[in-house]
Amino acid sequence: MEQKVLVVDQQKCTGCRLCELVCSVHHTGSSNPSRARIKVVKWEHVGIYLPMICNHCEKAYCVEVCPTKACHREADNNNRVVIDKNLCIGCRTCIVACPFGHPFFDVQERVTVKCDFCDGDPKCVTFCDPKAVTYVDADMIQVAKKREAANKFIDSIKQLR
Amino acid sequence: MGGDTRMGTEYTHPIRNVRYLRPQKEWKEIIAIYLYLAGMGAGSYVIGTLLNWFVHPSRVLSIWGLPFDFAKAAILWGPILVAIGAPFLILDLGIKRRFLYACLNPRTSWVARGFLILSIFIVFGLILLAKSVLPFEWLHAESTFWYIAEVVTIAFAFATALYTGILLKATKSIPLWNTYLLPLLFLVSALSTGSMAIILSTLGTSLLSLDATALKILMGGEQILVVIEGIVLFVYLSRRYKASEQAKDSVRLLLFGEKKLLFWGGIVLLGFIFPVVLESISSLSHGNPVFIFAAGIILLCGGFFLRLGVLSAGIREQIPMQRLMEIKYELRTMKMKEN
Repeated sequence: MEQKVLVVDQQKCTGCRLCELVCSVHHTGSSNPSRARIKVVKWEHVGIYLPMICNHCEKAYCVEVCPTKACHREADNNNRVVIDKNLCIGCRTCIVACPFGHPFFDVQERVTVKCDFCDGDPKCVTFCDPKAVTYVDADMIQVAKKREAANKFIDSIKQLR
Repeated sequence: MGGDTRMGTEYTHPIRNVRYLRPQKEWKEIIAIYLYLAGMGAGSYVIGTLLNWFVHPSRVLSIWGLPFDFAKAAILWGPILVAIGAPFLILDLGIKRRFLYACLNPRTSWVARGFLILSIFIVFGLILLAKSVLPFEWLHAESTFWYIAEVVTIAFAFATALYTGILLKATKSIPLWNTYLLPLLFLVSALSTGSMAIILSTLGTSLLSLDATALKILMGGEQILVVIEGIVLFVYLSRRYKASEQAKDSVRLLLFGEKKLLFWGGIVLLGFIFPVVLESISSLSHGNPVFIFAAGIILLCGGFFLRLGVLSAGIREQIPMQRLMEIKYELRTMKMKEN
């Protein structure tokens, strides 16, 4: 089965934080960005915005440290890493362990939550106007990067002429 | 950080300033109390059992006509401390009623392993404490079973003291914690605070005081442990300072940053300098218990601040994306300067 992943193009992000809003609405029913599974880190004074997403790491620390197996990998479902709310005890060990600071503690539900690709239709991707977040085949990431590099190379050749 | 001065204010690197000196906020005081009580309880049990094996202190008091050995209670009460500490971990959970789930993944998770280690230690430790104190003849029959139980419990006490450090060490993304020196530091601290807890409990009432030799051995051992702890702390911090950029930030945060009061006041002054000075004064004044008491209480506070300091200074490893942001920022400022 083809694996799909979320890819962030930081240069396209305008810092509107709509992704946070739709994420929280989809998962919690409330328009509360603090409960979203995506976070936009902003450095306003230099105009840099960085949407932080879960990478569903190959060797996921959150899965390794979870004492209850609530945080687990679903190999047959896009190989995603998800948290079972019914098993999570809210110990926050996964939050401490994640190098990307990704799983978030939901203060209302009292458990840790994380990105689950919205079951195959990520809302952050659907609603992102500048297409800063995309949901692509894992194999295509490198192709896109290569295409981008080739375009830059062509541009620089044109400039030389 | 910091370079030129504009309008009298220090210029700080905006991106680095965000990343710099921003430790984890998930594990705070409650976890520090848990680690401290678990470590101190386990350490005191190790010291107490060794004392029990080699010195055999005994002070039998009769209550309602039954002979209870209170000296044993004074040196083997470590499991009670661990039993008091364990609920603090539960207190920190999001959904407290699910705490029993915490043992479901011992294959990879140190929290789950710790849950099992602590549970076994508490159960075995309390049984042995009851066996030593209670006046029933049939409990005191010398047998291989009790000997094996004592050896197993002391092994689990060591494991508990080490576990408090391993729990943090298992967090690979925080370089301040990711070293074998941390479990060693917490083990030595557990033994020093544990031995001091025994000294305090035996001094607590003259009824329970051990014989002079035992107390002397205990005091001497405790002072050596404090010195070893100081050396391990120094080696730990100096090694971490050189380990990685974020580990260096953590050490700087602890020594010169926001946490400097906690480090110099709580850890160095209360944990090392005051107890050593007070114990020296006490030995000069022929073992004045007031000084030993003060030294003990202060040392125990220092042990707690050590855990709190290490916990609150843990800064995450930098992710490649953030490094990219830094480079981009540098390029932007360079361009701005050129223009």
